[in-house]
Amino acid sequence: MAQSQKQDNNFEQMRALCGQAGKEHSAQDAVNAPMIGHWCDAVGDRNPVYYDEQVARSNGWTGVVAPPAMLNTWTMPGKIDGQSYGDDPFVQCIQICDQAGYTGVVATNSDHEYLRYPQLGEQLRGIQTVTDISPLKTTALGIGYFITTNTDFYVGDELVGRMLFRIFKYRPNTGRAIPANGQMRMRPRPAISRDTAFFWEGLKQNELRIQQCTQCKTLHHPPMVRCANCGSYDMGHRTVKGDGTLYSFVEPYHPVVPFMRYPYVVGLIELREGVRLISNIVDCPPSKVRIGMKLKLSIEHVDKELSLPMFKPDPPVKYDTVFKRCERTRIFSEVEIGDVLPPWEIPITPTLIVAGAIASRDYQEVHHDRDIARERGAKDTFTNIMTTQGLCARYINDWTGPGARFLSMHTQLGVPNYPGDKLTMCAHVSDKSPTPKGGLLTLTLKGENQMGDHVNATIVVQL
Amino acid sequence: MSLASKTAIVGTGQTEFSKHSGRSVLRLAVECCDAAIRDAGLKPEQIDGMASMMMDESYEIDIQRNLGIPALKHFSRVNFAGGSGCATIQMAAMAVASGTCQYALVYRAFNERSEARFGAGVHNRMTAPNSIEVDFSWCIPFGLLTPASWVAMTARRYMHEYDVSTEDFGRVAVLQRQYAATNPNAFFYKKPITLKDHQDSRWIVKPFRLLDCCQESDGGVAFVITTVERARDLAQPAVIISAAAQGSAEDQNMMKSYSRPCITDIPEARLVAQQLWRTSGLTPADMSAAILYDHFTSSVLQQLEEYGFCPRGEAKDFVKDGHLELKGTLPVNTHGGHLGEAYIHGMNGIAEAVRQVRGQAVNQVSKMQHVLVTSGTGVPTSGLILSKNTS
Repeated sequence: MAQSQKQDNNFEQMRALCGQAGKEHSAQDAVNAPMIGHWCDAVGDRNPVYYDEQVARSNGWTGVVAPPAMLNTWTMPGKIDGQSYGDDPFVQCIQICDQAGYTGVVATNSDHEYLRYPQLGEQLRGIQTVTDISPLKTTALGIGYFITTNTDFYVGDELVGRMLFRIFKYRPNTGRAIPANGQMRMRPRPAISRDTAFFWEGLKQNELRIQQCTQCKTLHHPPMVRCANCGSYDMGHRTVKGDGTLYSFVEPYHPVVPFMRYPYVVGLIELREGVRLISNIVDCPPSKVRIGMKLKLSIEHVDKELSLPMFKPDPPVKYDTVFKRCERTRIFSEVEIGDVLPPWEIPITPTLIVAGAIASRDYQEVHHDRDIARERGAKDTFTNIMTTQGLCARYINDWTGPGARFLSMHTQLGVPNYPGDKLTMCAHVSDKSPTPKGGLLTLTLKGENQMGDHVNATIVVQL
Repeated sequence: MSLASKTAIVGTGQTEFSKHSGRSVLRLAVECCDAAIRDAGLKPEQIDGMASMMMDESYEIDIQRNLGIPALKHFSRVNFAGGSGCATIQMAAMAVASGTCQYALVYRAFNERSEARFGAGVHNRMTAPNSIEVDFSWCIPFGLLTPASWVAMTARRYMHEYDVSTEDFGRVAVLQRQYAATNPNAFFYKKPITLKDHQDSRWIVKPFRLLDCCQESDGGVAFVITTVERARDLAQPAVIISAAAQGSAEDQNMMKSYSRPCITDIPEARLVAQQLWRTSGLTPADMSAAILYDHFTSSVLQQLEEYGFCPRGEAKDFVKDGHLELKGTLPVNTHGGHLGEAYIHGMNGIAEAVRQVRGQAVNQVSKMQHVLVTSGTGVPTSGLILSKNTS
C-alpha cells in the first residue's frame, strides 16, 4: 500500500512539470566549420554542401550548411564537468526518477523536424518542454516511466527545427532479459512428410526436384501420394533447371513478421515444365516486379537445416546493390515507391562509439567508459543516438545525392550497438508525393545488428 | 419422409493393418478410398460426396485431389472421435437420400501406433505433420502467411487478366460501408467511407489495402431449422430454404488453389451455383438480393461473375453502374457485410438474408422474393437460396 502511494507521487510530481518550458539554452558555439567537420569525420558524411560553399550554392543554399542531424548537437551542454542543465523540468523529472530508484535510462524515440538547415555563423538556442509522462509501465527492460519532451530550436526569432525526445527511466533488474531474437528471426521450418521429403532434401543438394509419376511421367507440384492421372502410387522425381515466368505476386506489409526482411515479394512462379510454386522474388526491387517476367532459380542455403528455392529476374534487373555515395542528386521522377537502397554494413568499433559521442558533444560516460557503462547495466560502451541519427542521415544522403533536403527524421530506438557488433542499414522508398518543384520522398529505414533492430526510422526528403 | 432403407453400402476397401505402416496417413486414406471405389465397381470421377470423423487428419480435398475427383457436392465431419463412426455412414446416407450427391465416400485412416498414439497421454503424442501442415509448408517459409496474402495472390492475377484496379475493389468497400452506416448492429454504424478513404488506407498485402479486408470480430450467430409443415405453427414467418449446396472442385486447395490452369475464377463457387439453380429451378434474375461472402473486396467481384449476374471480367462495371445499391437490380450485403457489419464467418450474412426475407431488415429491399447467400470462396464452399413463403 505504501509502495503504490509512493509511485503515484513520482508520477504526480513529474506530471506537474508537464507543459513547463525549461530555460532557454544557447549554443556554446555558433554553427562552425570545425564542428561540422568533426561530425562528418565521425559518421563519414562527405556531402560537399557541408564544407564547399560553391557546391552548397549550386544546390540552392546561400552558403555552407550544417548537417541537419546535428540539430540538437549545437545546444548540448558539452562540458565534462557539470554535464546537464541543472533545473530544467526535464532534468528534474530525471532526478525524481533517480531518487525513487528508477535509475536506468534508455532513449526510445528521437524525432527531428527540420524547418531549415542552420548555416555557418548562426547561433542556435533551444527551449525544452516536458510534454508527457506515462503512468508506470512494465516493459521488457523493466518497470518505469516514459518521459517525453519537445525542444524548439531557434535562430533569432526563427524556428529552425523541433525535436521530440522520449526516454524510459526504469528500475534496474526489474525486466526480463531481452532474448536475442535470433530464434524468432529464423525462417520457419516447413512441415516435411514422407511424401515431400525428397523435395526438401533435393534443395540441400542444390536441386529443385519436381515429383514425377514413374508410370505416366506426369509432373506434380505440390507432391501427391497417388497419380490422379493414371492411379499409380509409384512416385519419382525429376530435377528441373528452375527457369520460369512470374504468374502472380503479392507484397506483404502487415502483420510484420520477424523472419522476413522488408520489403519482400512472394511470387507464384510457373516453371517452364508447367507446374507452379510459391517462392520469393529476390535481387529485384518490388517496383520492378511484373507478371510475365522471366525468372531463374537461385537456391538459398538458409542454414544447416534449411535450403529454400528463390527466384531472380533473368536477365538481371539493374539496380544499385553496392552502397556508395552518389555524386549526382537523384531526380524525383526517377524514383519509384518500392525502390530499395543497397544495404550498408557498418562495423561498430570503440572508435566509432567514442568519436560519434564526442562529435555530438555528448560526454556521458556510457559512450566512452566501459566500466561505468557496465555499472549502469550495459554490456559495454554503446553508440549514442546522435551517432545513430548521423549514420542514418549519411546513408540516406549518400543515396539521394547532395542536393536533397531533409525535412524530418523520426527514429525509434531498439537494441544498443556494442563494440564488435555489425550494424546493417537497409531502406526503401515507401511513399512519394509531388510538389511544384520535384517532390517529397518518404524512406523507411531499418538498422539491425545480430541482437535485433537497433533503429527504425522514417525520413522525409525533398528532391 | 425417413432415411430407412433408402440407401446402401456398395463398396468397402482397406489397407493392411499393422504396427508400422511405413506410409503417411494421407497415403493410407487415399489407398483405402481407392480400394473401396474399385470394390464398388466405380471410378473415382463418380464419387461426389465424402463424410468422415472430425478427428481425421486428412483433408477431404487432399484425398479428392489424389483420387482425381473433379467435384464434391457433399463433405461433412462428425464430432466425438470413436463415437462418430456410424454417424459418418448416416451423413453419407442422408446426402445420397436427399439427392445432394450420388456416390458418397466415407473414410478413416491414421497411424495410431507409429505416430499419434492415444495411449501415449495427451501431453506426449509423437506425430508426423498432417496434410494440413504439409499444405502450409509451401508458403510459410516464404512469408505468405495470412488469408489476405493467399487471396491477394489470385486477386493480383484477376487484376492483370481483366484490367481491374484497386479503385474497382474500393467501390465494393465503399458500398458495404454505406450499408453498414445505417445498420445499428454494425461496427461501422454511422461511419461510411469515400473512395479516397479507401485509396488512402495503408497496404496490408499489396494489392489489398486495409479497407479491402474484412474485420475481425467476436460474436455468435445461430439458427433453428425444421420442416415447412412445422414452421407453419411457429411465431416468425418461415424463411424457406429453396436450395442448399456444397462444392469442392478440381485441384481444390485452402485459398491456395494455385495449380489450376486458371486461378482467377472460382470453380467451387460455380459448382455450388449450378446446384442451386438446378435444384431450385430459379435463375440469377430471380434473386431480389444477394449476400456474397466478402472476406476481401475482390471476392465480391468474382462471385458476381461466378453466380451468373454478369459476364466474366465485367463485375467491376456491374458495381460501378450501381446495380448493388438498394435501388439497384441486385442489392448486395445490405447489412454491410464482413467489411462493414462484423465478421462472424458468414453466419451474420445468413442472418441478414433471413431478415430480408421476413421484411425485418434495416436496409430493406422493397420487392423481396429470393435471396442468394454464399459462403467463403477460395476454399471448398457452399451456398443457399432463401425465399419468402408463398404457400
